[in-house]
Amino acid sequence: MPIAFKDVSHVYSAGTPYEYRALDHVDLEIQEGKMTAVVGQTGSGKSTLVQHLNALLLPTEGTVYILDRTIDANKKPKQLKSLRGDVGLVFQFPEYQLFEETVLKDTAFGPKNFGCTVEEAEKRAKQALQLTGIGPEYYERSPLELSGGQKRRVAIAGILAMDPRVLVLDEPTAGLDPAGTASMMKLFRRLNQELHKTVLIVTHDMEQVYRYCDEVIVVHDGKIRHQESSAEFFKDAHLCNEMGVLPPSLIRLEEMMREFGFAVPQGIVTEEQLAQWIAQEVKNHG
Amino acid sequence: MGSIALGRYIPLDSVVHKMDPRAKIMAMLIVLIAVFFPSGWIGYAVLFAAASLMILLSKLSVGFIWRAMRPMLIMLVFLLVINALVVHTGPVLFSIGSFSVYLDAVLQTLYIAVRLLLMIMITTCLTATTKPLDMTLGIEDLLKPFEKIHVPAHEIAMLISIALRFIPDLIDETQRIMKAQESRGVDLQEGKLKEKIQAILSLIVPLFVSAFQRAEDLANAMEARGYMPGEPRTRYKVLKMAGRDYILLACALITAVGIGVLAWAV
Repeated sequence: MPIAFKDVSHVYSAGTPYEYRALDHVDLEIQEGKMTAVVGQTGSGKSTLVQHLNALLLPTEGTVYILDRTIDANKKPKQLKSLRGDVGLVFQFPEYQLFEETVLKDTAFGPKNFGCTVEEAEKRAKQALQLTGIGPEYYERSPLELSGGQKRRVAIAGILAMDPRVLVLDEPTAGLDPAGTASMMKLFRRLNQELHKTVLIVTHDMEQVYRYCDEVIVVHDGKIRHQESSAEFFKDAHLCNEMGVLPPSLIRLEEMMREFGFAVPQGIVTEEQLAQWIAQEVKNHG
Repeated sequence: MGSIALGRYIPLDSVVHKMDPRAKIMAMLIVLIAVFFPSGWIGYAVLFAAASLMILLSKLSVGFIWRAMRPMLIMLVFLLVINALVVHTGPVLFSIGSFSVYLDAVLQTLYIAVRLLLMIMITTCLTATTKPLDMTLGIEDLLKPFEKIHVPAHEIAMLISIALRFIPDLIDETQRIMKAQESRGVDLQEGKLKEKIQAILSLIVPLFVSAFQRAEDLANAMEARGYMPGEPRTRYKVLKMAGRDYILLACALITAVGIGVLAWAV
């Protein structure tokens, strides 16, 4: 069963002067096992959308179907806790949710809440910390004295330790350096491909979307404006511009070269491939 | 969060909103003192009329005053029960078995209820019509004379305005952390006592960490812009008393003196 939104709306502060419709009759389907990017401008409703996935926010209208569960606006929701175990949601700047005395305890906090024994929880925590690149020498340190990037890794490990089937990340790489960003994105791709997790990632970084994600969902003004595979989406520079999305630099370079009359073939997705093609062209015409 | 009425600023366009905060604070203090004179029902009627007039002038709705008053009702009911048990003077109103309720018990409760209502009406006239920042400016100016006896007027005002400024931020932050911990399986509503303590801890520790972080950032930002406590500063907004402010003060004084005379005569 895929994740599906049927005619979902979410209204904040309904019935007051501050009423605000963050989601407006959204219909959406997300395939399991894919890595999907949710893009859109600030205030477009991305964060509201992803918070429906683990029922932190409930729809004011419509129905959300997720992992064999149905969350309907008109019915009182059940099994919320087990849903939250199955859908791991990593918030923006998750390092602010760390609170335990040691890194290991904090990472094991999630699995323990979902009924794991202490030993099992710590085992899972260690696995998750290893995945995010936090070595055993950090296990007994206080999470509050780590660096910003390390805190982020520990916080994400805290969600991974819950072993969710669906992983939702709200701008997980905001504020990280390029190397940190790349290693994070590689990790999410690995989780998606090797452990077959469905990954949903809210981001502004089109380079990362182009490189790592299968699908792109464009959110605009609380509505789904576009949904397509990322390879197809970025192929069309006009469509990107229309959606208010700056295409990745590689695509822009290819576009520019075509304007100058070079017959750059479609389907070049990495800098290396483009460099190889250029080298070949130079040799052929040399 | 939208339901709290007591102490909240309501942006409206009225004469009272335009008045000088210093005049409003002083007038409020004077009339509040008058509420505590034992002036009897006539005095309270006069004060009620005065407060009603102010509310009318400030264009606030009766519903708003009622919402500000509502949280006090439970306290009043509690008070009525205690008075009914303790006060045994005056004629008996009614009896249930061997237990009787006396008239004075009800009257005394009513007395306190009226005073409470008056106090809420009067303070609301100030808080609902004065922006928090203007209020702190007013407090700072009113505390100025006390600097001679080493009351740090400016620092107190700065503390208050910083505290006010961070309330909405901290509410947002709390909600954010709550959501993040709920995503990790924390259940804030249900669970055993031990789980509940753990849940609250998972909320308070990050909240404190971020509050301290914010405080430090703010301190650095203020210092970077050359802020020095105790140094003389100029102000962007300079308060100025106008004719209507003096009229307000005069009215407040006359009311208070009148009530005082009435209380003395009774």
